Amino acid sequence: MADLLTVRNLGVRLFDRGGVVMAVRDLSLSIGAGEVLALVGESGCGKSVTALALLRLLPEDARIEGSVEFGGRDLTRLSIKELRAVRGGDIAMVFQEPMTSLNPSFTIGNQIIEVLRLHRGLRGHEARQRAAELLSLVRIGAPEQRLRAFPHQLSGGMRQRAMIAMALACDPQLLILDEPTTALDVTTQAQILDIVRDLQKRLGMSILLITHDLGVVADLADRVVVMYAGAKVEDAEVHRLYAAPRHPYTAGLLRALPRGGRRTGGGAERLTEIPGLVPVLRAPLDACAFAPRCPRSIEQCHKVAPVLEEMDPDHRVACFNPEPVPAAPS
Amino acid sequence: MSIATVPGAEPVVTISTPSRQGWWRRFRRRPPAVIGLAGVVVVVVVAVFAPLLAPQSPVASQFGHVLVGPGVAGHILGTDQLGRDELSRLIYGSQSTLEVGVLATLLAMVLAVPIGIASGYYRGAVDMVAMRVADVVLAFPFLLIAVGLAAIFKPSLQNVIIALGLAQLPGSIRIARAEAMALREQDFVQAAIVTGVRDRVILFRHLFPNMLSPLLVQASVSIPAAILGSALLSFLGLGVQPPTPSWGNMLATAQTYLYNDPWIAILPGIAIFLTTLAFNLLGDGLRDLFDPSMR
Amino acid sequence: MSGQVLEVDRLRMEFRAPRSSGGHRVQAVRDVSLEIGEGEILGLVGETGSGKTTVGKCVVRLLTPTAGRITFDGKEITAMAARALRPIRSQIQMVFQDPYSSLDPRMTVAQIVAEPLRAHGHPSREQVRVLVSRTVERVGLSAGVLERFPHELSGGQRQRVGLARALVLEPRLLIADEPVSALDVSVRAGILNLLADLQRSMGFSCLFITHDLSVAEFLCDRVAVMYLGEIVEVATRDELFDDARHPYTRSLLAAAPLADPVQQRSRTRSVLPGEPPSTTEPPPGCSLHPRCPLADDRCRQESPAATVVSRQGHLARCHRVEEQLSLEVSRP
Repeated sequence: MADLLTVRNLGVRLFDRGGVVMAVRDLSLSIGAGEVLALVGESGCGKSVTALALLRLLPEDARIEGSVEFGGRDLTRLSIKELRAVRGGDIAMVFQEPMTSLNPSFTIGNQIIEVLRLHRGLRGHEARQRAAELLSLVRIGAPEQRLRAFPHQLSGGMRQRAMIAMALACDPQLLILDEPTTALDVTTQAQILDIVRDLQKRLGMSILLITHDLGVVADLADRVVVMYAGAKVEDAEVHRLYAAPRHPYTAGLLRALPRGGRRTGGGAERLTEIPGLVPVLRAPLDACAFAPRCPRSIEQCHKVAPVLEEMDPDHRVACFNPEPVPAAPS
Repeated sequence: MSIATVPGAEPVVTISTPSRQGWWRRFRRRPPAVIGLAGVVVVVVVAVFAPLLAPQSPVASQFGHVLVGPGVAGHILGTDQLGRDELSRLIYGSQSTLEVGVLATLLAMVLAVPIGIASGYYRGAVDMVAMRVADVVLAFPFLLIAVGLAAIFKPSLQNVIIALGLAQLPGSIRIARAEAMALREQDFVQAAIVTGVRDRVILFRHLFPNMLSPLLVQASVSIPAAILGSALLSFLGLGVQPPTPSWGNMLATAQTYLYNDPWIAILPGIAIFLTTLAFNLLGDGLRDLFDPSMR
Repeated sequence: MSGQVLEVDRLRMEFRAPRSSGGHRVQAVRDVSLEIGEGEILGLVGETGSGKTTVGKCVVRLLTPTAGRITFDGKEITAMAARALRPIRSQIQMVFQDPYSSLDPRMTVAQIVAEPLRAHGHPSREQVRVLVSRTVERVGLSAGVLERFPHELSGGQRQRVGLARALVLEPRLLIADEPVSALDVSVRAGILNLLADLQRSMGFSCLFITHDLSVAEFLCDRVAVMYLGEIVEVATRDELFDDARHPYTRSLLAAAPLADPVQQRSRTRSVLPGEPPSTTEPPPGCSLHPRCPLADDRCRQESPAATVVSRQGHLARCHRVEEQLSLEVSRP
């Protein structure tokens, strides 16, 4: 197997005011070399926690189980020093809000050069030149000039580009993008998506894309993992998932979207609602977490937790009563 | 979290968090704050029950026992230069000390909150005037105000309270104003304006209740400041007048005897130190508690 | 036109930036005209900084416009004094974006929803109680929430409370400022359905402010698109989504990713390059010209007037709207 990253049985328990939260439950996934894997779900489904857990960026008191294999090593067992070499080196991460991930009191150039110095040992003119190259890689015009800009002098889109440039500084094998375009306007988002798609093709890196936006997923992803209440409910190749979602939650999300010519008015078109709320699990569950909201739930769903099963080739679903495969359109 | 499903409606979700018990639970997790609270409670209890707790009268002199050391002749903490029981004086001294601290702060709040709310909510001319007045008050050292008041009237507990209250006014106005300005931009206040709710109602129902927490924090910080201020005034002879004991005037008279009988200076000093420390710890704890980012 | 619930005529809103950041004039809204008919939902679509929220705030008179005229139900309210405005306020209500900050954390749901009734002098306690519980039920909440505080509710439930507060007085006009953008997809669907249902049953008119074209497409009868403080195109929903004429509208439509990998990957992307310029010094001529692939000398010098595209009130502010638009932006 040419998998770059393999996560096995990842479990994360966090603690809040109400006690323990089962933020991620028995999650396994793998990302192949050059693959774009999207981790999709609504707020609180554990997708961001998963990403943070991979790099062990969670709060001190978080309990992590399972293994995260990357390049033949288990990231959960590395020392902090070893881990630091991986973070920002082989695995780079871009967060949702570029303003808070950039240091406001240093120029963009300083911050990129700092990364190059730490991970690549580049200095002086060489580092500066490489930094400018990185900025032009993310299509920032007049890069030499922009290196001297402070984060607050750039627009949101420009800052996010700078973040991506910084992430690329060490030619990472895996780039984690955590809601990279959520804070941006659509035209800016489209520009960033273009850049990411293009870079991925040119540099051949793998991407773990974390998002709630099914449009962004449709644009970038090769494969999709849908999460609900901390667990994976569906895992499929992107075209297959959109054409024939098998888990009722995935299907519900797609039907809830106001998309593609759905219009109210005389016809009284309605969006499909998913009634109820995403639960916060405080104890292991002997049932399907989605069952209370599921229109297809059967008795079994309330008694046994479903496990992922291969329903179609390369399409795994954790459901006792999956959606039927729609008849192929002629 | 518990989920109760009502047919045809979104289930009602109870998130059992920032309720009243939740506050106490979070508060309890901060030992310094708990220690501060305990200290404040002790001081308050001592002040309230002083007549019951004090072994002797704080003003009765026993000229046979002048400046006896701690533990001598039934005086646990010794006596002062007039032979008065030091422990009893410390206990009674807490009354005036606390009174000054609390009343001066209360006075500042009562004046500052309406001014601050009005200038923060209405901005414009009201704000200009209020802030300039605050600047003017701030420009006078409070000591000057206190000396002035003492000169015009005469040194008394009441004047100490007024002087210290005025001294704290600008700070309190600024806090109330900043809170009012922030709340004014909150959507729920905007919603009330759009709905046509009268200003009076907005100020009383939306602004004031939502600024209680920061005001409480401010109070817990300004009470010890006032206590220190009153000690300073007493030390200068402008505060509570003998024979009524206050920790400040005890400290003032003790300076004469510092060399031979240091305990009568050290004891009120420790009392002032511990009390202000307790209030400050409590204040920090409350600040953390009310800070949404700490939740 | 008569019989409009809301008419906005050449609205201008300028802010003065704080002296610390230069004291520039920010032209948030420039010459915006629009009208909303009885029972109509008008979508106001634009990106951050387009001025769409400012238009909403002017209409509810949280802001007093710099120039222009706002007429509600035939009465001019542009600079009406607070006292005269009060009775009109009961007819124009607003729903906010953030369901967390738009409810007073110290009031129960019942108190929140009752507030507009009390403000407009509903006499009896009993009457208030009945109206409150009826409205709360109408927005799809159970009576169980009445005594709860906002922090005990989910985002979707809070937004329903906000809607109940806005609708309890049965207003004629609802200003909805991004009411679903803070919500998750599954919750959003419920709120959108509810808004559509309530509009049908109560018949109010609505100014629906959003950055999300798909939401506007689902809900609105007509849509106006804003860019840099101006309305650049307005049309009925069908015309706007099927036959947009302004290069900016077309770019917005092209930029929003479709939740379908086949369609999304096969479409020709024609996204405008660059980012909107600053509102302190909008470019001369057409405000889009620095980013527009069709811009010529005229666009750079002369600000375009609204051109009539069709008889259904389709207007586009573009010099080149007459020419057959074939917007092919080369990828940067």
